[in-house]
Formats: sequence, structure tokens, C-alpha cells
Amino acid sequence: MLASIVLITLAAAPLGLLARRGPRPLIGWGLALLPAATFALLLAQLPALSGEQRLVEAIPWAPAMGVELRFTLDGLSLLFGLVISGIGTLIFGYAGHYMASDPGLGRFMVYLILFMGAMLGVVLAGNVLTMFLFWELTSVTSYLLIGYKHDYSDARRGALQSLLITAGGGLALLVGLLLLGEAARRAGVPAGEAYTFEAIIGAGEAIKAGPLYLPAMILVFLGAFTKSAQFPFHFWLPGAMQAPTPASAFLHSATMVKAGIYLLARLAPGLGGTPLWSGTLVLVGGFTFAFGAVVATRKLDIKALLAYTTLSMLGGLVMLIGLGGKYAAEALAVNILAHALYKSSLFMIAGIIDHETGTRDLNRLGGLRRFMPGTTVFIALALLSQMGIPIFFGFVGKEIMIEAALESPLADPWRYAALAAIVVGAVGYIVAAWRLFKNAFLGQPSPDVLQQHVTDPHLGMLAAPAVPAALSLLLPLGLLPFVSQLLAPAASAVYGHGLELDLALWHGVNVALGVSAAAILTGALLARFERQLAGLPLSLPIWLDGAKLFERLTDALIAGATVLTRALQNGQLRRYMLYTTVSFLVVAGLPFILYGTASVRLIPDPQLQPYEIFAAALIPVAVVATIRARSRLGAIIAVSVVGAMVSLFFVLFSAPDLALTQLLIEVLSTVFLVLVFSVLPSRFEILSSRWKRSRDAVLAGLVGLLMTGLVLATSGSSAFSSISPFFLENSLAKGKGHNVVNVILVDFRGFDTMGEITVLLTALLAIYGLLRMRRAAPRPPAPSPSGGERGQKEGI
Amino acid sequence: MTLILAISIGCLFAGAIYLMLRRSVVKLILGLLLLSHGVNLLIFTMGDGVRRGAPPIVDDAGLPPANVADPLVQALILTAIVISFGLTAFVLALAYRANQAVGSDDLNDMIE
Repeated sequence: MLASIVLITLAAAPLGLLARRGPRPLIGWGLALLPAATFALLLAQLPALSGEQRLVEAIPWAPAMGVELRFTLDGLSLLFGLVISGIGTLIFGYAGHYMASDPGLGRFMVYLILFMGAMLGVVLAGNVLTMFLFWELTSVTSYLLIGYKHDYSDARRGALQSLLITAGGGLALLVGLLLLGEAARRAGVPAGEAYTFEAIIGAGEAIKAGPLYLPAMILVFLGAFTKSAQFPFHFWLPGAMQAPTPASAFLHSATMVKAGIYLLARLAPGLGGTPLWSGTLVLVGGFTFAFGAVVATRKLDIKALLAYTTLSMLGGLVMLIGLGGKYAAEALAVNILAHALYKSSLFMIAGIIDHETGTRDLNRLGGLRRFMPGTTVFIALALLSQMGIPIFFGFVGKEIMIEAALESPLADPWRYAALAAIVVGAVGYIVAAWRLFKNAFLGQPSPDVLQQHVTDPHLGMLAAPAVPAALSLLLPLGLLPFVSQLLAPAASAVYGHGLELDLALWHGVNVALGVSAAAILTGALLARFERQLAGLPLSLPIWLDGAKLFERLTDALIAGATVLTRALQNGQLRRYMLYTTVSFLVVAGLPFILYGTASVRLIPDPQLQPYEIFAAALIPVAVVATIRARSRLGAIIAVSVVGAMVSLFFVLFSAPDLALTQLLIEVLSTVFLVLVFSVLPSRFEILSSRWKRSRDAVLAGLVGLLMTGLVLATSGSSAFSSISPFFLENSLAKGKGHNVVNVILVDFRGFDTMGEITVLLTALLAIYGLLRMRRAAPRPPAPSPSGGERGQKEGI
Repeated sequence: MTLILAISIGCLFAGAIYLMLRRSVVKLILGLLLLSHGVNLLIFTMGDGVRRGAPPIVDDAGLPPANVADPLVQALILTAIVISFGLTAFVLALAYRANQAVGSDDLNDMIE
């Protein structure tokens, strides 16, 4: 069933094209049946997953290497799967309304379904390789979604930036995951199972003690931090807001960015708890938490404001995983759900505001409550949940988060740092939420708003954000026992042991409540002076402004590549030849000098004949003559002598077929050379300077020496057994021929010969074409405007 | 005899590289010719040793002569000889056309 969920979703992507025509809002909600069915299927599995139960499905993929397409469903996967499919259902319906007049809706829906399938694959994957496959698929599909409006340069830049960051992090992740699998194998897990999450977590203690833990964790952190927009990789997330709002709401509130959180939470029970793990996650997560919340209070674009609160909450979740302990696991599960609910609702309402008024700029909005009463109610619910006001789900999340910091097994400084980050975050959320609500919905309507005919959207569109916003209030008011039952398996999976979850709105007067109250009061006070705060002239130092750093880095990379290309590829053939020669000397020469000289052997050869020495001695003479010849004819004669001596070697050293072929080819080549050279100037001119000639002579001499040395070092040593004896034995029996070389060519390796004939035929056709071109196009007459043009077209 | 082959190969490579670093198209082609000779001889030394007077031809019983030469490298070289001939012929035709179009043998005159 798990494999079917993922694969059917991916296969159903072409259904998105249905949205190309017809009543789009209806088709949008129709397509929403796909995630809705997934949601129902997953929810039905809840009873089977109490405690630490899990469902496993495996499809053999590359059995010889022990690789399988493996899917697992446990509490954590279930929570993420429900969030993805649940929010997905709403987003699909919302998109049909939001983009009702966009001609590309069909394409957009295809991307969206593909993305959802990939995301489900990530959270349902049962081994790291399967997970990585879908992980990269989410990077690619989110690239398509962010760059959907590809005629805007901002959208293209945002898409490319997110792809470079997340796919680059993905590469690091791949190596990290392979190292983890290798570490599990070294810890005694059979090779076929080493890449499953169960095995890696089960071998956790051994992996933590091994030498691969540090490098593997650094690489996995890189992958998770880039995907989940942790500082300093956070900047792609605000840039990705160029996506159409349904995509932003889906990718950047509920799904894609949570992939990194999911991976860390998945690995936490086995690999967490070390100083490396806790230190990194609390530091990076805590900083991102506070940083995002503070930056969000200064944003004027609604989507940018929401993007920064999102990356802030992602920091909070990373920090929770670092804190460890029972409460942190519970807080993680609660906050994932709470954040997905209020943030998807907020993003969709931001889209509604944009849709109705044509702007998302807080300076140009105002007084919307009069025109959009329904929208006002639901954004208020979602914002109150985000602010962590009592009786809302966000409050439950914040309380338990504070509890997690207080009860964490880490040392005091870490716990207080985490607490400080939570307080800064909570205060920032209140100020940002108030700023959004006050400037957009309260006060006098702005001229921009008055000019438009602003109303609440169609009920089908408003329903999408209304559901999660309402749930943010309803879940804590009446459904907490059910939520506890839903989240307990997820928290157990993160904690590593079964745990009972008993969420409540009222825990009595305790420290957490005090901290929460202090944060709300401070937030309310600061929110009062929201306008003055936003006016403070603060700008980010360059090292905090990742987007600018990234831009400079890519610019420098492109500039460097241009300089390098200009230097290397100047269009001169001999320049390329020079680089190739020098590289060869370095790459082959250095190892030879370091390691190869010892194996150079000079075996005395008592049978060496005088005529053999004579033939060998003629070769250098003929080569020098070829080089120094002043006339073309002299050069041709000299080069023929070389060919003749090579043929002689073949005669002397038991290769009669080679000798025959070489002689024939030699004669043909000489005829061609004479034919072609006869039309060229008959004498060579000296074109290069003396310095260049000496330099080339030295390089060429070194290559010659190196080749001689390599031959002497390698000949006679065989690294592997030859297949020649097979040919010798079977030549007569199977090939019906005495001449083994011939039998190999026409029988044993007949396809090689066919390839060879193809090469000759291709060369023949090309030569024919080259020569015919001359006849078809007569030389252009004396330069005239039209003649010049013709000459260019003819080209060569 | 490996020694004399090794020295010959070195000479052929050195001459080929020097010629291919020149500006004249004709010298480039001559360098290509020398290079293919050098490479063929290089493959020749790579087999199961170079032999005298023992070509890979089996008798009526299907048995090769004692201490026979390696048939596989010979088959490979045979293919290589023919293919390098195809290449040579093509490059010659190219040089012929280039000379017609540019009226020069100098590679520098052929850029753009």
C-alpha cells in the first residue's frame, strides 16, 4: 500500500493537465480527491501504529547490491504523510480558484502532484537510498514550481538559487548517507540491510563510537540545513516566494522545508545525544529561530514576512531535535502540526489578499476588515495561533516547547540559550503578526484598496484556509485526546521509546506558563510601538545577508570561469595540444617518477639481431628528417620510411597480418599525401619563434622519454589474466580458421570489425561531402556586397 | 627487443607531439601519422610479450606454435591501423578544403 501511495501519486501527475480547460475551480477540488484519498488511507493506519509498531514494504531494486525500494510507515512518517496529504487536499482546491485565469494551470498542477508524490516518498521511504531518490525529486519539482512564472527574472533567480542550494546540499547528504550505511555495515549489519533506517538507528551506538560518525554527520547536517533553510543557508526560502501562492503555501509552510526536519527527527533516536549533535542543532536552530523572528518584524511584503516566520519556526524545530529528551520529542510533534495548520492558512490568505487587492505590500493595504469579514475572522484565528495566545493550538506548542528547554538533558548554558531563543521567537511572532493584521485589516482603507472591488473570495476558495485556521482553535478546545493519540506514535519514533502523550491546555501555574506570559506581555508592549520599531535604521551586515553573499559567490564563479575559458579555449589548436601535453606530463609523469621508476627493467636479449637494431635506429633518423624537412616531398618520404620500419617490426616480431595491412595502408596514405600536398605550397615556412620551437622540443622530448620509461616499466607485467589463450584454443575448433588474428576479426570479435567498417564508411561520406562542396559552390567572384554574403554562407 | 621497441615508441611520440605543436596544417597531419604508428607499437608491447618467429597461426590439429605471439593485440592493432587510415584520409580532405577556402597552410589564419 505504501509503495502504491507514492507511485500512484507520481503516475497520476498527467491528470493535472485536466485543469487546462473546463470549470477550473471544480477540477481543482476534483484533483484534491487524490491527496484526500491518501489522507484517508493513512489515517486508517493509525490504530496499527500505537507504540513503536511499523509497516514495512520492500520491492527488490538491485538485489545483487542489496538495494531495494523500501517503504516504512511509523508514527513519524504518518504525521508527515497526513500533513502533506491533508494540506495538499486544501492546496489543490485552492489552486483551482487562485489560478482560475492562468493559462498554465494544467502544467502547474502536474508539477504540484509530482512534488506531492516526491514528498510522500521522502517521508515513507524505509532506507536512506530510497529517501535520497525522492529527496532530490523534491528539489527538482520545487525548482519547477518556484520558477513557474519563468518570464519573470526574479522567479528564475529564486528557482535557480533554491535548486543550487538544496540540490547542492543533497549531494553532501548522499555522501553522508552512504557513510552512515557503511558505518552500519562495519558495525555488523548484513550488507543487504545496512541502508535501512532501522539498521542505522539500531547500530547507533557503534556508529557514534566509530570514525565515520563525524564526517557523516557533518554531511547529513549540510543536507538537512540547506533543505530546511537553516542559517546561513536560509536565504533561498524568502527568494522562493516567487512561486505562485499555492506552491508557496504547500512547499514552504508544510512540506519541502520540513524534509530536513523529518530526516533529523528520523535519525535522532539512533544518532542523537552526542555533543556534536546537540551542540550543532541547538546552536544553528536556536539562532535561526531568533534571527527569523526578528527579521520578520521588519518586513513589509506579507509573503516575505511569513517566509521569515517560517524559517524561524524551522529553526525552532531543529533546536528541539538538538535538545533531546521526552518533552522535546513531544514538542516537535505538536509544533509540526500546529505550524502546518496556521502557516498554510496564513499563506493561502496572503494569496487571497493579493488576488483581491493586487498587492501584498503592507504600506498599500488597510481597512480590509470592512470588505472581507470572513477572511478577517480566519486570518485572526491563524495569527492568534501563531502568536501562541492561550486556547489556540500554537499556545499548546509553545508551552511544551518551553517545557522541552527546561527539561532537556543538556547542560544549563544550552538550556538557557534555547529558552532565550524561544522567548525572542515568541515575542517576534507577536510583533510580526500584529504588524500584519493591523496594517492590512485595521485602520482606514488605503486608496489602493478603495479603487478595487474588494470582497471575500468565493466560498470554495475561502474554505481552503478556513479549515486549518478553524482547526487551530478546535483541536485544543475539544479534540486534544484525539490529537494526543495521533501524535504519540510520532513522538515515540523521535524519542526512541514508546511514550504516552497527554496534551492539555491548562497545566496549572508553572514556570512554562510564567515564561509564556512574560513573552506575551513583552510582545504586546513591543507591538504597541510596531511602527517605531520598523523605522529603526537597521541593516544586515554582509555576513548575515546570505542572499548577497551567494550572489557575489556565483558572480565570482562565473567571472572566474569566463577568464579560464578565454585563457584555455582561444581557438588555437596547438594551444589545446600544449595544455594536453603538459597535463599528460604532470598526471602521468609525476606518479611514474615517484613510483614507476623502480619497475623499469632492462632484460638482456641475447637473440637481438643487427638488422633489428638497424630498423630501430632508422626510426629516430626518419622522425628527425620529417621534422626538419624543408620540402613537402622530403617530409612525405621521411614519414613513409617510418611506416616501412614499423611494418618491418611487425614482420620480425611474428605479426604477418599487421605487416601486410601496414604496408598496404602505407602505400595508400603516401598516394593521398602526395595528391593533397601537391596543391599546397611546396615548401614549409618557419612560422614559430626560436623560443617556442625550443620549448616544444623540450616538451616533446620529455613525452618521448616518459613513453619509453612507461613501456619499459609495464611490458611483461600482466595485472589480470589474458583472454588470448581462449582464442588460440578455439580458433580452429569454433572459428574454422588457422590464422587466429583473422578469426578474431571476422568471427570472435566480428562486431568490432563491423564498427571499424562503419568508421571507414563515415569517413568516406564526410570526405565525399567535403570535396563535393567545392564543386557545388563555385568560388565567390571578386568581393562585392552580395558575393561576400555568399562566401560566408558557404563557409567550411 | 622490448628496449628497441620502447625507444622507437619514445621517438615516435616525441616527434608526433613536436609536429602537432606547429602552426602548419601539414605538420599537424604528419604528427598524426607518427602518433598512430607510436600508439600501434605501444599496443604491440602490451600483450603477452613480443615473440620472434611464432605468429599466431595454428596447425591442422588446432595447436599454436610454442611460445606463440599474442593474437589479441594483433587484432586490435589491425583495427587501429585501418581506423587511423580513415582519420588520415579525412584530415587530408579537410586540409585540402581549408587551403581552398583560406589559401594558407597556417592554422592562425583559420581562426574565425
